[in-house]
Amino acid sequence: MTCSEWSKELVECARRHGIHAEPDRELRAHLALCAQCSERWEAELQLTAQFRAMRVHPAALRSLDRFAGEKRRESLMLDFARRDRRPVVPSRFTQAWVWGLGAAAALIVAVFVGHQAGKRTVPAKVSPGARTHEVRTEQTIIYEASNDASALSSDDFIAVPYTPPLAPGEMVRVVHADFYPEALASMGVEVDPSWAGDLPADVVVGEDGLPRAVRITENNQF
Amino acid sequence: MQPSDEELYRLMRKGNQDAFAQLYERREPALYRFALHMSGSSAVAEEVSHEVFVRLMGPSTRFDETKGSLESFLYGIARNLVRVVRRLGPVAEAVDRPFHHDILGELIGSETTAALHRMLRELPERYRDVVVLCDLEERSYEDVAKLIGRPVGTVRSRLHRARALLSAKLKRMNASPEVVTR
Repeated sequence: MTCSEWSKELVECARRHGIHAEPDRELRAHLALCAQCSERWEAELQLTAQFRAMRVHPAALRSLDRFAGEKRRESLMLDFARRDRRPVVPSRFTQAWVWGLGAAAALIVAVFVGHQAGKRTVPAKVSPGARTHEVRTEQTIIYEASNDASALSSDDFIAVPYTPPLAPGEMVRVVHADFYPEALASMGVEVDPSWAGDLPADVVVGEDGLPRAVRITENNQF
Repeated sequence: MQPSDEELYRLMRKGNQDAFAQLYERREPALYRFALHMSGSSAVAEEVSHEVFVRLMGPSTRFDETKGSLESFLYGIARNLVRVVRRLGPVAEAVDRPFHHDILGELIGSETTAALHRMLRELPERYRDVVVLCDLEERSYEDVAKLIGRPVGTVRSRLHRARALLSAKLKRMNASPEVVTR
């Protein structure tokens, strides 16, 4: 082994055992022959001893000022407790979820409210082929028409314009039906545009099936 | 069974003060010693070991378990803080002043030890790190390799080199003490 290789050995040996280091037989033999390595060996032993002394130093320094160390520890723990009392700020990921769900909920509520408001204010569109009323046939009553069909108007009935007059003795039916306001309007009944939904009415129907007069029976719109 | 540093850290981040206190008790003394030997000042060492934990509990701590141990993270902070202090200039109160006022002072404050403290501070940082951790903190090569993020072989060769430098200085001091210890 070269001196360089031996020097590694002697450093490790000195570190392991300090001043009580006992080099093995081969190293001892080399130290006996090599003055340079022998000198290095002594220096390594001295260095190891000094390092051992230095290890005491921090503890000794602290023992001189133990009170300050306690105070520092105490203040650190107080800082920690103070920090822990601060409101917890959710992570960005959590915040994004909260905002997203909130927006979705607001959108659903807005759509629902808008739908309800639309139902109240905007009359439903009626396509030409759509049904304009619901006839409750079980409530149909049959009468004999008087000579003057216009007399129907006297009993809150409104004559449907542009329909042929009833013939004397013609059997008419009074049919209870739910009308859409547009259907009533088309029959000449005055309809408030703010009304929404169906309106219950009595309709006088001739034998030919054509309506002759209409009467709104109850109006829940007021 | 003792919880690991990383487990304590996780508890601490959830606001568990006991975990923080336990971590402090476990790691602060060694961090103080490390900072003391690296800086040569007990005041700086106190400040550094305190600041490490202030930073650890701060909101901007970026410790990542997958990149290394909490211990090496703490040593990293301490090393950087000491570096900053050293850049600012020489420390006012150095540990190499001999203690002569009591028995403890006699024990720890010999001229040789004081001189060695000074020599240690004059070493390049990469050598000083390994001497402090291996010879003063008595850590294994493997531990130190993890702490400083270098291979074991590098730690060993740096230590041998550092010890050779210190031995040479001690030899010169023994030959002419006035010149070296001044």
